[in-house]
Amino acid sequence: MKSPLPAREAEFQVRKAHQRRLLQCLAGLSAVAVALHARAADDATDFGWNTRLVGEAHELRRDSPFAAGLDLTSFGRDRYRIEQELRGRAGPVSLLLTATESGQEGAKPTGRFVANEAYADFSLGGERFAVGKKVLSGDVGYAFRPIDVLQRESRMQMMPPQLEGIPMLSWDNFSPDGAWSLVIANPGHQRRGDAREDGSVALKLYRRAGAADLHGVLRRSNRYGLELGVAASLVPSDALEIHASLLTQQRGERRLPLAENASIRDLLTADSALVTETIASPRKALVGGTWTTAEGLSVLGEFWWDGTAPATADWQRLARQAAQRAALLGLPGVPAAAVAGETAASLKMFDQGNLVRRGLLTRLAWSEPGGGWSASADILKSLEDGGWTLTAAVAWQGDRLRFDAGLRRYGGRADSAYRLLPERGVAFVGLILAY
Amino acid sequence: MFKRIVLLLLASVSLSAVAAEDGKVKALLKQADVYRLAIESGRVETEVRSFKAGVLDKTRLYAVYLKPGHRSLVLFRTATERGQKMLMLGDDYWLMMPSSQRPLRITAMQKLLGEASTGDVATMTWGEDYDGQQTGEETIDGVPCIKLDLLGQRKGVSYPRVVLYLAKKDHHPVQAELYVASDKLAKLARFKLGNVDGRRQVTVMTLIDHLQKERSTEVHYLSRTDKTLSDDYFNPAFLVRADLTQ
Repeated sequence: MKSPLPAREAEFQVRKAHQRRLLQCLAGLSAVAVALHARAADDATDFGWNTRLVGEAHELRRDSPFAAGLDLTSFGRDRYRIEQELRGRAGPVSLLLTATESGQEGAKPTGRFVANEAYADFSLGGERFAVGKKVLSGDVGYAFRPIDVLQRESRMQMMPPQLEGIPMLSWDNFSPDGAWSLVIANPGHQRRGDAREDGSVALKLYRRAGAADLHGVLRRSNRYGLELGVAASLVPSDALEIHASLLTQQRGERRLPLAENASIRDLLTADSALVTETIASPRKALVGGTWTTAEGLSVLGEFWWDGTAPATADWQRLARQAAQRAALLGLPGVPAAAVAGETAASLKMFDQGNLVRRGLLTRLAWSEPGGGWSASADILKSLEDGGWTLTAAVAWQGDRLRFDAGLRRYGGRADSAYRLLPERGVAFVGLILAY
Repeated sequence: MFKRIVLLLLASVSLSAVAAEDGKVKALLKQADVYRLAIESGRVETEVRSFKAGVLDKTRLYAVYLKPGHRSLVLFRTATERGQKMLMLGDDYWLMMPSSQRPLRITAMQKLLGEASTGDVATMTWGEDYDGQQTGEETIDGVPCIKLDLLGQRKGVSYPRVVLYLAKKDHHPVQAELYVASDKLAKLARFKLGNVDGRRQVTVMTLIDHLQKERSTEVHYLSRTDKTLSDDYFNPAFLVRADLTQ
C-alpha cells in the first residue's frame, strides 16, 4: 500500500504550481494596468481595475430523483469566485481581461485567465469596422431575449461572471435615424459544441422611429439555417416602457430524454441519457413592459413563448427515467457507477436556455433616489407546469465599493421543471471593489 | 367704426408688447446661458459631489458631449461606473451598461433616478428649452436680480417649471428654483462664478434638494472645450462602439 504522504506532497506541489501560475497572471495583469494607467493622461486611454468576490451557499434536494448522479455534477458545489478584471481601452483597442479563481466543494481551487474582449474599432475609406473578440448582445427583453442570436447570453443568473465575447468581424454603417451591421461571427468555424461558437453571418438592423426603437436581425448558420428576428422598444410616457421581440428559425434544437419505451440497456448506456431533437420552424416571442415611479419603484412584467424549450411531458419523462435508473441500483449485474453516470448525464437537460415554453416574470424593484441602496424581488412562473423561481436581492453602491446579497428558491408542482432541479435554493453575497 | 379701430390698435399694441416681452426673456436666457456654456458644441468635464446631512457621500465624474438640437452624450468616468454611457436625443434616452454592450431605451423617470440626475449634468442651457416672463425683481445674497418665471417648451425637460434669478447688472445666473411636474419645488440651484480662461463662467452649481431634505449636490465644471463629435456618435446603435474619446 502506498503511503499517503507522497500523494499529499504531489498535491501540494500541484497546488503550489497552480497558485504560482495564477499569481503570474495577476502580476501580468497588474503590470499591464499600471503601464496603461500611466498613460491615462492621454485622452484616448482609459483603464479600470475591479476585484470581485462572490460567495455562494446551495441547498441541494437530496430526495431528488436525480440524487444518484448528483456527486458527479457541479450542481450546488460552487462556493466562491475571486475575479480580477481589467477593462478599458487604449486608442482603438478595447480590452476586458479577467483572472478568476473558483472554489467548489470537495475540489481544489481552479484558476482561469480569459480575454473576454479584445477588439479594435476602426474606420477605413469612410466605413466603420470592428475586428476581434467582442460581446455582441442584442434584443430588448430582460428575462428572455429571443433575437440575441449571436451572443446567446444566459439570463436570470445571479452574480454571473463577465460575458465572454465572440471572435468576429463587423462592418457598421450609421445614418441619422438608423444603422446596420454585417457581422461574421466565429469565422472559419462550422458547427461547434455550443451554438454561440458556430460560424455564422448576420445582418443587424436598427431604426429609430420617434419614441420607438426597431431592431431586426437575419442570421445564417449550419445548425439553425436562417433565423429572422424583429424587436421593438417603445416609450409612450415618462414612466412606461413597452417591449416585444419575435424570432423565427428555419430549424431549432432541444435536448430531450430517451423515448418512453427505452430499454434498461438504453437507460444505462454511456452518452445516451439525452437525445437532440431537431424542430422545424420553431418560434420564440416575448412581450413586456416596465413602469417606473418618481419614488424609485419599478415594476417589470414579461411573458414569453419559447418553441424550442422542452414540454411538460418531457420533464415528467426525464424524472421517470431517473427513478427507473435509481430503482436498478443494487440489482445484480447493474454497476452503481453506470446508474450514477447516466443520471448525472441526464441532468444536462437543465443546461438549455428556457426550461419551459411559456414563462411569466414579475419583478418589483426599488432604487433609492439619489442614493446607493437598491432592492428587488422577482417571481418567474412557468405557465406550463406550475413551477416557479423566487429571487430577492439587495445592493448598495458607493464610490468604489458595491455590495450585493440575495436568495433564490425553486419550487412548484412536484413534476414541474423548476421543482425537479436538484437544488432547493441558493444564497449569495458579492463584493466589488473598483480602482 | 372709430371704436373698432381703437380696439384693433390696442390689441395690436398689447400683442407686440407680449412679443417684445417674449423676445426680451429669450435674450436674457441666452445671455445667462453664456455663463454656463459659451460654446454651441463641446465637451464638459464635471465632478458631482453628493452630500447627505452635510457629509460628502459620493463623488462622480462625467464627461458630457453636447451638440445643438438637444443632443448630449454622457460618459460615466467614476471607477464603479466606468464604461456606462447615456445618450439623450431630445425627449428620448438610452443607457448602455458595459456588462451587456446593449443600448437600452429608458424612460424619463428612469433617467431622473440615475446617479445625480444625469439631466442636471447634461443640460447646460435654458434658452433652447424654456420661455416665460419677468415677474419682478428681488435681491438674492445681496445681488439685485431679475426674477423670471419659465416654463419648459418641450416634454423632456427635467424640470417643467423654473423660477430663475439673473443678476440685474450682467444677467449672470444667481439662483434657480427647479419644479417637478406636480409643481413641487424639487431643488434650489445656486451658481458660483469664477474666472475661466479670462471669462466669467459658472464653476460650481449647488443643488439643494427640497424633496429629500438632507441631500445636496455640488456640480463642479472642471473644463469646457470645443471638442466635438460627429453625428454618428449620437446614434444609439453607436454606443456599443469603443472609438469614443473618453
